[in-house]
Amino acid sequence: MPRATASQRRAPTSQLAPPVARRAPVTSLLPQPLLERLLAVAMERGGDFAEVYVERMVSTAVVLEESRIKSAQTGLIQGVGVRVISNGRVGYAFSDDWDEPALLRAASTAAMIAQGGGSERSFPVRRAAVPSHYRVSTPLADVEVALKADLLMRADKAARGFDSRVKQVNGTYADQTRRIAVANTEGRYTEDSQDLCRLAVSVVAQGKNGEQRSGMHGGGGRVSFNHWDSFPPEGVAREAARQAVATLGAVDCAAGPQTVVLAPGWSGILLHEAVGHGLEADFIRKGTSLFAGKLGEKVASDLVTVIDDGTVSNGRGSINIDDEGNPGERKVLIENGILKGYLYDGHNAKLMGQRTTGSGRRESFKHLPLPRMTNTFLAPGDHSPEDILKEVKRGLYCATFGGGQVDITNGNFVFEVSEAYQIEDGKLGRPVKNAMLIGVGPEALKNVTRVGCDPMPDPGMGVCMKGGQRLPVGVGLPTLRIDNVTVGGTKVG
Amino acid sequence: MDYQQLAKKIVQRAKKKGARQAEAFLEVGRQSNVRVQKGQIEDLTQSTSKGVGLRVVLKDRLGFAYSSDFEPSGIDNLVDMALKLAGAAAPDKLNGLPGGKDLGRFADPGVLFDPKVAELPGDWKIKAALEVERAARAEESRIIAFNGVGAGDFVSEVYVASTEGLSGGYSGTYVYLYAMPVASDGANLQMGYWLDYKRFLDDLESPESIGREAARRAARMLGAKRVKTQQVPVIFDPLVASSFVTNVAAAAKGNAVYQKASVLAPHQGKRLAGAHVTLVDDGLLERGLATAPFDGEGVPTRRTPILDKGVLSGFLYDAFTARKAKARTTGNATRGYSALPSIGTTNLYLEPGTKTPQQLIGEVDSGLYVTSLLGHGADPVTGALSSGANGIWIEKGELAYPVQEVTVAGNLLGMLQDLDGLGNDLQFRGGSVGAPTVRFRQLTVSGE
Repeated sequence: MPRATASQRRAPTSQLAPPVARRAPVTSLLPQPLLERLLAVAMERGGDFAEVYVERMVSTAVVLEESRIKSAQTGLIQGVGVRVISNGRVGYAFSDDWDEPALLRAASTAAMIAQGGGSERSFPVRRAAVPSHYRVSTPLADVEVALKADLLMRADKAARGFDSRVKQVNGTYADQTRRIAVANTEGRYTEDSQDLCRLAVSVVAQGKNGEQRSGMHGGGGRVSFNHWDSFPPEGVAREAARQAVATLGAVDCAAGPQTVVLAPGWSGILLHEAVGHGLEADFIRKGTSLFAGKLGEKVASDLVTVIDDGTVSNGRGSINIDDEGNPGERKVLIENGILKGYLYDGHNAKLMGQRTTGSGRRESFKHLPLPRMTNTFLAPGDHSPEDILKEVKRGLYCATFGGGQVDITNGNFVFEVSEAYQIEDGKLGRPVKNAMLIGVGPEALKNVTRVGCDPMPDPGMGVCMKGGQRLPVGVGLPTLRIDNVTVGGTKVG
Repeated sequence: MDYQQLAKKIVQRAKKKGARQAEAFLEVGRQSNVRVQKGQIEDLTQSTSKGVGLRVVLKDRLGFAYSSDFEPSGIDNLVDMALKLAGAAAPDKLNGLPGGKDLGRFADPGVLFDPKVAELPGDWKIKAALEVERAARAEESRIIAFNGVGAGDFVSEVYVASTEGLSGGYSGTYVYLYAMPVASDGANLQMGYWLDYKRFLDDLESPESIGREAARRAARMLGAKRVKTQQVPVIFDPLVASSFVTNVAAAAKGNAVYQKASVLAPHQGKRLAGAHVTLVDDGLLERGLATAPFDGEGVPTRRTPILDKGVLSGFLYDAFTARKAKARTTGNATRGYSALPSIGTTNLYLEPGTKTPQQLIGEVDSGLYVTSLLGHGADPVTGALSSGANGIWIEKGELAYPVQEVTVAGNLLGMLQDLDGLGNDLQFRGGSVGAPTVRFRQLTVSGE
């Protein structure tokens, strides 16, 4: 079903989970002769292009509740999708049955989109080299579950030890070992192994009069399990507990326009929502994004340079290849306020006479690829974070963030601020609760008046939703000042 | 393949290998959907899929594994993995499958399967989607493009079996139409969104009415502006009201209650809203999208009032959470095969009132009629709700001009108390959550 696009921190654990490659490793996900046969069947009615997408994903999730490992789970999902493009129309069929007859049936079904006559052409494929922006020493699926559970027990202890007002600690560890292979009628065959893990801890603290506040923190990426040695679960847990405790006693947020200062890191959700989605080629081609037809125009303050980069080392949104088999890239989308480029998948790029930017991504073999972001960040500026804060007489300091959402058509975006403080005479004042920022993408970016010299990626837990498909993404932002932002709150005047 | 037999076989295999209890939940489905663009097919997807989740209890420890591989070796691996994972979990005497007392007899959910949907001709969806697009353009000349127009159907089968004597299965059908047209006045763009989603073809709104309503909703937002920050009466249309209802129900989930992480937890049995407010979860609602004989762990579904004439009368439980809270399961375990059961709603709805939406609007001197929201809704722990909003300003009882780039903010408890008007237009629009038009006496609207 169609859904508005959104990004959020909280992903359901159901889609994340793990274990062991029971069949052979990625090099033989499907034998090459079978791949070529599927391509030939897909083109039997005379399509313009066909592609076979093979995926096998093992996931693991461990859940902690009330200081105990409540459950541990693992799962295997595997399937093959066949896409045929004919005269701009797309036919897609997939099968989670790996029997040859079932796969051939999927190829024939996808071929129905083409209405031409039959042909007996063959479509040999050759393996193309792929870059390596992440490589894990041992597949996460092969790491003992007990080690994963131990991360959560350590986190629980640290969160409860942080402050006596901590009342509830919930934690989830989730990983996946995802292997994909893509073959197409242009002769290209690529494969990749994309491991991904994430630890998330949420905490409820209780203050006087029974007041409750929650905090949440987490992180991860396309990393080996030893990532947790340098990014220990205790740190994650203490940060979640700190947020919950720090916001006890928070006052109602004043509603209306204010100057806001965004802490670095997670605040990159602003970019993702305010501009990123609006630069995706499907919306641009259909003319349904407010950024359509604006290449070369000024769409943001001179201080704003936005980059989408799928090549960040071990980044949560990084991809050696996208889900059409093309290498991930670094793309400058906005440079000093000028709109420089869009995010293209192969299909939209062809229809628009452009080159793919390696942005064709899909949640699984059950989905068609869409142009999507990878890791989206703002280039740093010259101002120290201290000076940025010092200059603000009255405003709102936004320290940690929840999710966001955008309507790409009119550019309206929101993002939720889970921890915020009043700014008075350049200093942080009382914590404020229930703040939310709303704006229109280009207007908000034109109101950027200070960019910090402190670039920071988020810790690695973003989930982006578009067209019903969830994907891991990264964001990043230095400290940022934006003037005249509408802040949603309950207090008037 | 006999999937009911397969589910039983998996359970027996797990028992033989040492599980004290085991439960298999199996889903099989086929679906098809089409999107169109400028009178042509844009894409067409068809698929079949299947999967099974296996829950085992081994010495009070819970293990879970799932797989889409139904080959004998895949099933063997599934059983081994579930048992192995039980070893990694902590023992908890409360772990366990629903027993005979909880399982009982399945109630009669009525008809869930429509042969007309299961046997829809291949080109029905294409014709219907094209008609939606045509009607939208005919209704409104300012529609310049679509973010999507489509139609689809699916047929699903569910089977469950357990060592506690459970064995059951059912199949259901679903069919839907949707449109997301974009309107332009030359300077600005606005998107509308309208859809219908039903089990039965005869219940589905016509493609023409879907297209026309979507177009009207897009075009009426053209020229939207901000308003000043103020506290005013706010009306949610049924689509928006259903997301409010979802927020209230999320705070009524049994796990949030026993963890004391819900704003509703301390209020059981208390009056939270006027006597006109009744919120019900009903797993047996006739022809409902979520209607089923049993829930995700084989417990018979039922009708559970959450707010009964304004009084907080009940919470929603699955078997584990009910044991924890010393309550009875309400048959609210929801799941897909790739997840453990968790507490969810079935057919959730706010009972309608007697006034027309026009009457509710007519009684407002100055306020906001909200037609779409942005954001993730309320925090169930604190009840705080803050969302971006689009809508139409009300002046002297009339819809006056479109509004965007504002937020509405309040608190679930305060909003329930303030809920002073209910429309007579209850509808389930695009899902299993239904609501009529709802009016709140006062919310904070934040803008200029």
